[in-house]
Amino acid sequence: MNTLLSADGIAKSFGPTRVLSGIALSVAPGEPVGLFGPNGSGKTTLVNILSGLLLPDAGTVRFDGKEITRLPLDARYRLGIARTFQIPHPYPALSVREAVRVALSAGNRGEGGGTREDEEGPAEDLLARTGLFNQRFVPCAQLSQGCLRRLEFARGLACRPKLLILDEIFSALSAADEEDLTALLRAANRDEGTAFLLVSHNPPLLKSLCRRILVLEEGRIVRERTV
Amino acid sequence: MRNAASFRAPKVSLRGGTPPARSTWRGGGWLAAGIGLLLLFPLSSPDAFFLDVFTTGFLLAVFAASWDVVGGVSGQITLGHALPFGAAAYACALLTSFAGWPLPLAVGAAVLLAAVVGAGIGTLSAPLTGPFVALLTLALGEIAHEVAVGHTFFSGPGGYAWGGEGGIPVALPWRDASPFSSYYAALAFLCLASFGMLRFLRSEAGLILRAVAGSPVTAQASGVPIARFKRLAFAVGSAFAGAAGAGFVLHVGRATATDLSLELSFQAATFAAVGGRGTIVGPVVAALVLHLLFQGLSLPPSARVLLYALTLLLALRFFPGGVVGTARDLASRPGGKEGGRSPRRRGRNRNGEGAP
Amino acid sequence: MHPLLQVLLDGLFTGAAYALMAAGMALILGVVKVINLSHGAFFTLGAYVAYVLAERGVGSPIAAAPLAAVIAFAFGVFLGKSFVNPVRSHPFALPVGTLACALLFEQAAQMVWGPHPLSIEAGAPWVGPGGLVIRRWGVIAFLSSAALLGGLKWVLSARPGLPLRLIAEDEEIACSLGMDVEAIRYLTFGGACAMAAAAGALLSPSGAVTPTMGRAPLLLSLVVVIVAGMDSVAAIFLLSIGLGILGNACAWFLSPQWSYVALLVAVCLLLSARPAGIVALAGRRD
Repeated sequence: MNTLLSADGIAKSFGPTRVLSGIALSVAPGEPVGLFGPNGSGKTTLVNILSGLLLPDAGTVRFDGKEITRLPLDARYRLGIARTFQIPHPYPALSVREAVRVALSAGNRGEGGGTREDEEGPAEDLLARTGLFNQRFVPCAQLSQGCLRRLEFARGLACRPKLLILDEIFSALSAADEEDLTALLRAANRDEGTAFLLVSHNPPLLKSLCRRILVLEEGRIVRERTV
Repeated sequence: MRNAASFRAPKVSLRGGTPPARSTWRGGGWLAAGIGLLLLFPLSSPDAFFLDVFTTGFLLAVFAASWDVVGGVSGQITLGHALPFGAAAYACALLTSFAGWPLPLAVGAAVLLAAVVGAGIGTLSAPLTGPFVALLTLALGEIAHEVAVGHTFFSGPGGYAWGGEGGIPVALPWRDASPFSSYYAALAFLCLASFGMLRFLRSEAGLILRAVAGSPVTAQASGVPIARFKRLAFAVGSAFAGAAGAGFVLHVGRATATDLSLELSFQAATFAAVGGRGTIVGPVVAALVLHLLFQGLSLPPSARVLLYALTLLLALRFFPGGVVGTARDLASRPGGKEGGRSPRRRGRNRNGEGAP
Repeated sequence: MHPLLQVLLDGLFTGAAYALMAAGMALILGVVKVINLSHGAFFTLGAYVAYVLAERGVGSPIAAAPLAAVIAFAFGVFLGKSFVNPVRSHPFALPVGTLACALLFEQAAQMVWGPHPLSIEAGAPWVGPGGLVIRRWGVIAFLSSAALLGGLKWVLSARPGLPLRLIAEDEEIACSLGMDVEAIRYLTFGGACAMAAAAGALLSPSGAVTPTMGRAPLLLSLVVVIVAGMDSVAAIFLLSIGLGILGNACAWFLSPQWSYVALLVAVCLLLSARPAGIVALAGRRD
């Protein structure tokens, strides 16, 4: 099967407003794809539909050959589709390490729990990769915006996803954070074959990271260019 | 594994890299002292009345902790926690007095029933959020209460009608339990149950439940099947509530409709609010203190409910984190926050709690 | 045939009074965006005010309702300002706290007036065609409620009601327009409590005044608001009357306990069957 994710005929309206119409796209295994569009073009709605947070009014989504249109967010994560949020909602009472452990254990890889706080483990590994190792005991709610994005990354990578959907994860980041996270994304794509769909309104970034860029405008994909 | 230092980690104090101080050791000292005092108390030959007050206090403390599993740790505000408590009580009574079951079997079945009831409540309330969960559980509890008040059963021998306000008696294998043995049995039960619930809190399932309570969307996006875990929270909390209910009915000898009342459900929420939601230990302490205070002063029932309501309102207003939360904040004040609930954080809760 | 007509008529009157309460609940849910579990206690407060007045010889609900409304308004504003407003978005503190207020009032009423049902002299009713008993207080309740709700509908659709509708729709815009959202919130809360108390006073001659009499009306107004929504006063009025008739029929043919249980079951069914509607109600908070 050459297609990892495919969406066909996706349409969504909120009341009288038609946000998406006739969206069709596909992502191949290990392919880095970008999604570009101005504000209000429907990017986040599309991401929500692809990740399982919203049901489309029409159309189908397929992953690895199976239809997943009605599958909820958590089931998709366990299948290997992870997504990050543009505005993260951190756990108010959990530490960074605990947040990652939740993703590790719920993602059914089974190695998340049971390690004591001073032991090394898969959580620590993930935290080190995303640069959060020195903050692993900080409560999530106290993290800066850049660290919250890193945590989103860690959470997304915890299930060793086949597809990572990133909703504006690089917007409003400091240069250092952006550099670290782009390196991380490239490494995940190169070393683990993680395909990703990167939503952004930053064309240079998209060009440097993605092999193919879809352009979304007023709810339709108007252009597709290969980098 | 990549070297952690190869990444330009953002500037942060070193404390983020060290585990939080084992404040539980300090708390453990207090706990041991408390248990010791409780063990020694009956040796001072107190009145049987006070022994009885303590005994029911221990059972209520388990009830309070079981509420905390659902409402504190897992964030499912239930105003119908008396339902599994009373269901187990009535099950014990009916199974022993009507069906003639031996007591241990009846108690086991009662706790199982409470867990099943809890799972049912959890299933119904899973798609709901916050205040609507409270409303649904309130309604379910009240339905059970009305059924218990209104329904009468016919007893075997004697031909009396049981049920209604009078309740249903339990067929106990012992004649008259000595207040001392009741006291120590209840205390042992409290220690065991609290230990069990604390272990649950610290387990992986407990961590996931805390995540679901803190930010359901993030938990879902981390692969957590929310509905299943909400159901688990209710089932576990209700099982312990049922155990407390069975213990209560063994002590009192009768299951009455007040075991299903809204006032009792409300008491559980009060203990948690005063003690500190999500701590398990806080509600236990609050239950003991408040129950001893109000019951020990032999106040009439309506005055007690009034005082509970007042206490809750004062706690909500002045001690949002409860006793344990405030104690944690005071203890960690010099070094900064250690993850306890600080009153200042209340405004930020909107970010973390609830779906976007 | 006759008992049914009687039940219908009495249900019409009680339903109209409940409509006042339901409209109050809708206001609270829409503007303050909370589920107020103490709403029933204000209903009870109104009934007891009417009882106290009747003891002093003023038996008319027309006198009792405004006084009850004023007292309830004062209490409601105090409660809204000191408790509801600061604690609004707290999923724990709000329902549990308002329940605490309700229980507080129930127990206080029990301590002052005792748990036994009290009754108020209703005065001789009119007798209509075919022996139909038309209770005077019922007519007053119906007319007052219709008038008040008509007034409310007019206020909401005209300029004075604009702040309320705006806050219900989008609080940020209301804030940025310079409206004192906090004040409007606790004033609305007080007003809604006043409506509940007026309903209680109007209905007090109908039967027993007990400390816990407000629980059923609280559930009823919740059911009405969940089903009829918060947007149409007319829908609230009609649905309340429908439920009033149903409840009366239930109480007459079965027993008052059964009508309470039926209400509880209705709440559970509604909450289980319409999570989407509930989410929309809850989502307005954000």
